[in-house]
Amino acid sequence: MDIIKKEKKCHFCVNNINEIDYKDAETLRRFINSYMKILPRKRTGTCSWHQRKLATAIKRARVMVLLPFIRR
Amino acid sequence: MSKTNTSRIPHYELLYIVSNKFTEDEVKPIMKKVTDIINNRGGKTTLIEEWGKKRLAYPVKNFSHAYYVLAEFDFEGEKVESIDRDLRMMSEILRHQIVSKRVKTAEDIKKEKEISQKIAARKEKEAEKEVKETEKKEEKEEEKKKGKVDMGELDEKLDKILETDDLL
Ligand SMILES: [Zn+2]
Repeated sequence: MDIIKKEKKCHFCVNNINEIDYKDAETLRRFINSYMKILPRKRTGTCSWHQRKLATAIKRARVMVLLPFIRR
Repeated sequence: MSKTNTSRIPHYELLYIVSNKFTEDEVKPIMKKVTDIINNRGGKTTLIEEWGKKRLAYPVKNFSHAYYVLAEFDFEGEKVESIDRDLRMMSEILRHQIVSKRVKTAEDIKKEKEISQKIAARKEKEAEKEVKETEKKEEKEEEKKKGKVDMGELDEKLDKILETDDLL
């Protein structure tokens, strides 16, 4: 129960991260599923403001080949 | 790391990849070329960070590995696209991306510090609460144990009483 509760909080709000760094692929990976799709907000607890930033960061990371577009 | 500047010159971050058909020594002149492009267009490079050879998340032009280089620069001109265009002309570069980067002011840094201190304080409080709760739990358990002991003692006493009763 505790883990679920903790996951429902926005990771970026909790850690005071305003700018999501697209170069930090390791963090971004936690917000995509095995099909390399961006996980919905409800699933990760990310607030809508950060979800928008997250989507931009993930797209940039894909362009720079730091994250895959699709599962190989 | 990027320096804080008070004059608010637009700051950019460039990440580019060079395919591993080049050797590490061959990457150096390519990096020099990129810096020259930035400087020739009126930019000022403030940071260069070599990430080294990395595995690509998917193959690009049949390359599975590439050298990553990060550069930060100040650029006052209107069109950072001019740098973008020049980089696209460089056949050595597999891919590149320029994003504008907000330079943190002294005030931003101060605010961030304050917020992170608040977060740390809150986390500490939560941890304290948790400790107290576990302590309470432990106390309760001890009491329970004590209760059990007491019950045991009571049983013994009762047995003794009963024994004496038998004797009577
Ligand atoms: Zn948030």
